[in-house]
Amino acid sequence: MKKKKKKRKVKTNRLHVYTPFGKSVIKDSLAYKGSFYLFVICKVLSVFITYYLWRAIFSSSDNSELGGFNQVEILTYVFMSFVCSNMVYISMTTKIGENVVDGSIAINLIKPISYKSKLFAESIGEMIYKFIVPSVFVWIGLEVYKYVILDEFSLSGIRIALFLLSSMLSFIIYFLFEFCFGMIAFYSTYVWGMEIIKNSVLSFLTGQIIPLTFFPDFAQKLFNYLPFSSMNYVPVMIYLGKISSSELIFSIERQILWILILELISIALWRRVVKRISILGG
Amino acid sequence: MIKVEGVSKEFVNAKKYPGLKGAVKGLFSNEKERKLAVNDISFEIADGEMVGYIGGNGAGKSTTIKMMTGIIVPTSGIIEVDGIVPYKNRMQNAQNIGVVFGQRTQLWWNLPLGETFTILKEIYKVNDKDFKKRMKFLNEVLDLGKFMNNTVRTLSLGQRMRADLAASLLHNPKTLYLDEPTIGLDLVVKDKIRNAIKEINAKYHSKVILTTHDLTDIEEICHRILIIDKGTIIYDGTLENIKDKYGKTRMISVDLHDISVVKKINFNKIFNVSKKDFNYQIDGKTVTFIINKDKVSVSAVLSNLMGKTDVKDIRIKETDIGDIVKQIYIAGI
Repeated sequence: MKKKKKKRKVKTNRLHVYTPFGKSVIKDSLAYKGSFYLFVICKVLSVFITYYLWRAIFSSSDNSELGGFNQVEILTYVFMSFVCSNMVYISMTTKIGENVVDGSIAINLIKPISYKSKLFAESIGEMIYKFIVPSVFVWIGLEVYKYVILDEFSLSGIRIALFLLSSMLSFIIYFLFEFCFGMIAFYSTYVWGMEIIKNSVLSFLTGQIIPLTFFPDFAQKLFNYLPFSSMNYVPVMIYLGKISSSELIFSIERQILWILILELISIALWRRVVKRISILGG
Repeated sequence: MIKVEGVSKEFVNAKKYPGLKGAVKGLFSNEKERKLAVNDISFEIADGEMVGYIGGNGAGKSTTIKMMTGIIVPTSGIIEVDGIVPYKNRMQNAQNIGVVFGQRTQLWWNLPLGETFTILKEIYKVNDKDFKKRMKFLNEVLDLGKFMNNTVRTLSLGQRMRADLAASLLHNPKTLYLDEPTIGLDLVVKDKIRNAIKEINAKYHSKVILTTHDLTDIEEICHRILIIDKGTIIYDGTLENIKDKYGKTRMISVDLHDISVVKKINFNKIFNVSKKDFNYQIDGKTVTFIINKDKVSVSAVLSNLMGKTDVKDIRIKETDIGDIVKQIYIAGI
């Protein structure tokens, strides 16, 4: 009996086992700075392009509000969308795909660690890194710009806290979704094409390109039943103060619900997949 | 103890056709190709045993190792490693085993080597005292000190392999799986690795399962060998046994002044043996006799030659384990 207890202990996830993986991702990112900064510049540039596009739309329109957004709000939406998605969208599909294609998944499986927990730790590491470069700076820049140039300041501590909380939930939803999606790699081996399709579909469904209020009613209702709006749209709308207090609790509850659902799906998928693993490359 | 009973593994792949036309055809066909990588194998390995697991490329060695480590699930059959079914309790099994895949590293590519060991210390829950003691021991046998602070990606192959072996031993595993641990290494490093394996086995009484294509590894380390061919185990026994069974062949190379005399002598008739037990090849001024030493004596062959022409040089070669295994791979047992 005693022996059995001892054995079971091995299974429990110990946090400090996984922290080195998170740390190592941060170190890796620092090791390849050049490519990362180029990547960041590209991304920031695309945010500015999106923003100027919106400005052009506003200036050619007679209304001062479009889809419930005024010009300052759309500015906030576009940039906060970037702040949030930059740190929340951490793609694991490619990583899982790589592990499958080069067979290095074997190395993960011969160690007494859970593959999913390891990936999660790595995701957290990457998220922390991306929060610092450049999300937090874009965020501060945006608020400074709004305060100094536009003379607008509507932030409160609670709203920042709620935004961060909701973003964290988004991060977990996104991770679980990516993990489930990454399981395709075990069946199809190459996931690059799928990844491209997934990313473009997601950028629409998560409201990253266009706020979801711009979509027709039936589409908006449909989005309510999908996990995607919980990934980016919800935290940004919370930040904008566009989700009222009663709705706010509902939104966060829905995020938590999605975490539970996706967690169950991911466990079921992993169980299936582990049985049919074949290690490529000898 | 490791128990492997009637284990088979079948891989199912989409059928591919040759050429561009075939590639297009492959898009529309849903045919599956089944390949039996391991076919009904059974064996047992006792504690403290060092077993060489050999076979040609694609014979099923690595597949067996992967099933024993719990990475892949056998299609049928039972595997138990110290009472644990590896593919059912992967994590629990992983705690007790050390694995080295010679072709890929388990070290973290972008981290300094020293840090890899601290991570492993956490993963395997090694306490500080044991950690220090084992690191000291591993440092002695594998000589890691010089590159402990280097990033893994900057290590040479030999250094990396030594580090990999050390990494697989840190938690003092009861079972050590070594899948080609000496691949691509120079003789000095090979020696270090072999000695380390022997020392660890002597000190901790751990089981070692070793696959390799370098049969010197086997001769130096293993007492027992398993030979697998086309997914079936064709030999399970001691090294001496197989040497006795197949090591009867002797090769006698003789340099002669006048090579033509060889053709004039009808050896098979003189010795009254078939071509299987006596054969020769002529290459320039050298003739090589391949004989079965139980049927034909070396001196009889030589005395038949001596009187006919000048013998300049004689070399006698015993078959080594490499030749034996080659013979088995080609002809079967």
